[in-house]
Amino acid sequence: MLQNNLLLSSSPHVYSKIDTRKIMLAVIIALLPVTVYGVVLFGAHALLVILVSVASAVIFEYVFRLITKQDIRIGDFSAVVTGLLLALILPPSTPIWAAIMGSFAAIVFAKEFFGGLGANPFNPALIGRAILLMSFPQRIGGSWHIPFKAISDATTTATPLTILKLGGSIADVGKSFVEQGVAANADYASILNVLFLGNRAGCIGESSILLILIGFAFLLLVHVIDWIVPVCMVGSAFVLSFILGADPLFAILSGGLVFGAVFMATDYSSSALTVKGKVLFGIGAGAMTIIIRQFGGYPEGVTYGILLMNAITPFLDKLRTKKYGFVKPVKSGGARS
Amino acid sequence: MRKATFKGGIHPPENKELSAHIPIEQVNSIKKVVIPLNQHFGAPIKPLVAVGDTVKRGQKIADSQDRMTVPLHASISGTVKKIEAHLLVNNMEGPAIFIESNDSNEEEFLPILDPFACSKDEAIARIREAGIIGIGGAGFPAYVKLAPPPDKPIEYVIANAAECEPYLTIDERTMEESPDDVVDGLTIAMHIVKAKHGIIGLEDNKQHLVPILEKAIERKNTSLGFDIKIVLLKTKYPQGGEKMLITAVTGREVPSGKLPMDVACVVSNVGTLKAISEAFRKGRTVVDTALTVSGRACSTPKNLFVPVGTVVQDLIGSVIEVKENEVCRIVMGGPMMGPAVPSAVVPLQKNTSGVLFLNADEAQHYAEGSCIRCGRCMRACSCRLSPALLNRALSINDLDEAVAIGVLDCIECGSCSFVCPAHIQLVQRFRIGKQRVRIKMQKEAQRATK
Ligand code: SF4
Ligand code: SF4
Repeated sequence: MLQNNLLLSSSPHVYSKIDTRKIMLAVIIALLPVTVYGVVLFGAHALLVILVSVASAVIFEYVFRLITKQDIRIGDFSAVVTGLLLALILPPSTPIWAAIMGSFAAIVFAKEFFGGLGANPFNPALIGRAILLMSFPQRIGGSWHIPFKAISDATTTATPLTILKLGGSIADVGKSFVEQGVAANADYASILNVLFLGNRAGCIGESSILLILIGFAFLLLVHVIDWIVPVCMVGSAFVLSFILGADPLFAILSGGLVFGAVFMATDYSSSALTVKGKVLFGIGAGAMTIIIRQFGGYPEGVTYGILLMNAITPFLDKLRTKKYGFVKPVKSGGARS
Repeated sequence: MRKATFKGGIHPPENKELSAHIPIEQVNSIKKVVIPLNQHFGAPIKPLVAVGDTVKRGQKIADSQDRMTVPLHASISGTVKKIEAHLLVNNMEGPAIFIESNDSNEEEFLPILDPFACSKDEAIARIREAGIIGIGGAGFPAYVKLAPPPDKPIEYVIANAAECEPYLTIDERTMEESPDDVVDGLTIAMHIVKAKHGIIGLEDNKQHLVPILEKAIERKNTSLGFDIKIVLLKTKYPQGGEKMLITAVTGREVPSGKLPMDVACVVSNVGTLKAISEAFRKGRTVVDTALTVSGRACSTPKNLFVPVGTVVQDLIGSVIEVKENEVCRIVMGGPMMGPAVPSAVVPLQKNTSGVLFLNADEAQHYAEGSCIRCGRCMRACSCRLSPALLNRALSINDLDEAVAIGVLDCIECGSCSFVCPAHIQLVQRFRIGKQRVRIKMQKEAQRATK
């Protein structure tokens, strides 16, 4: 008689095949183009930073959960994602010890102290970067490397945003591109072209808008993220730059805005969950980025812009969509057909 | 034709190809049945027969005078052996009438009644007397839906032909094999509630039924002039949920805590409509369960008419073949909402739309991870609730917040649990959450009266 080994459980009895691990893998795949390009641009040291950051993130998570007697979760690849994201927003010249420290801050302080995956209120990779930025302003973000040149002090330059922060103009950015040999001309179109393709000085993975958009398209295609936060964030940065009299196209193409919008502001745990919340999150993060760039002490504002919005995410969660059955009743009308 | 639909929902693997092409088979070989007394949603009913009585198939064996009840009928001819508790599909024990066949095959149905000539009260009484209840869901008495209070006029009668649960194909077969009965039942229902419009809501994976139904409508229309339309729906779960279906075809939303009649709609499953037609035209009472037997641990997927009260185990070997060592879960109904049962020794009810024998590949179970706030459940929710936030509110015992997020509005469709990549038991928790909220409300009400 049929009785043995029958499983009793409450419905549903079938489940989608998508699990946390597959989602994380999709993010890693989406990050591959910029990762590879970062290594192409900045060479072996950049690769080392990436590998160390990823490996230490995984190890820190493993050890932390082991010591605190929690289930080991490195199999879900979320630590890989955190480590990779951190490396991609570090300058190519980041010392190895700094990458390890950043990983530690990201995994232990920002993620595991709050309960691990899904419970972290702030984006771990951004926390890692922010802590490094505050602790070692000279080593992290003090000097930048010219693409395709070996990393040594002789090849440092300024990022487009640093040039602007130090009082330069967009024309100066063009001049520096020509000096570095990444652009033939210093005109506006050439500048935008360089910024779009990404063969410029900057963090390891943030420079190529084209490759970021390819990753974005992939994530949209596999339904890992939706478009709301990235589009609202970039859109609000564009509009606010325009209002403040800055060049809006330059503003969204330079720095880490698009990278942050696609890969950081869409972090599940620390970002808004509801549709309305996502719209506000995106708009707020874009606006904060531009405000920090224009009026703050740092040339780039993406990190703090997103972290600030992370802080108000619990409130954004209250902006829920109207439930079924709570809309105004429609008076009689024809059936849809 | 624009495909009607609702917001949210999911696309589970359909698995309908297993049984969709197989004609419905009438099973007459059942030797004993265990007929649960209370298969309907409502007040309990009492047996009208005693142990030792001889009954005929179709004869009334239990009833009550109370509101929200429907009578019960013997599904085979034979002798009442005992009346006692038995394990039912909902995993609880309930009273049941045990009948053993005497192989006489005698039937005793009601006299034929012309639904368009009799009075409304007579028609309603006939539908009640035939023991018809809603199929697939909670088993709501069909006559109650067709007798709304006078201040709730009905515009639409909607035939629920979505059959959105995976595996199930019995409605599809019913429409293919008896389209005239379904359309007839629809016109009878429209006549009773004086609805101007009749709509057959069909998921677009069953488009091949459109010409068949259109012809049946034509045959009907030429004689009576009813306005009946077929509306193609997007194939999406839970398209056949009563609320989702109403929204898809009329654009109206059933207000929270209200019923379809509050938006001038009556929704009836195609099987129910067929039963309504037969109750008048043939005087038939509900004696057979129409269901799909499927799942990959069943080597003979079938669509069946089986006497109500047939114990699943009694079908195995004689009517269906089951790979016994592969079965890891038996589900009564569809895999999204049907309950799993601890053994095959449970009787089929009037509203059992399927029996699924699932193997380990199909019925996977996972350890719960932690919510990664991916938002999939929010997009999947057919009621636009926020399952992730609801889960959190329940886990910190914030029942007021849970009500605000909508725990009482959850239709328990399971879409949220289906999509959750961390395999959080969302709907499972919400079911318990509803109980917790109701208990709390009761306590508060008690305190208020003291
Ligand atoms: S689908 Fe699961 S993991 Fe994703 S937000 Fe909902 S509950 Fe959390
Ligand atoms: S919360 Fe309820 S209504 Fe929404 S998807 Fe889950 S089970 Fe369905």
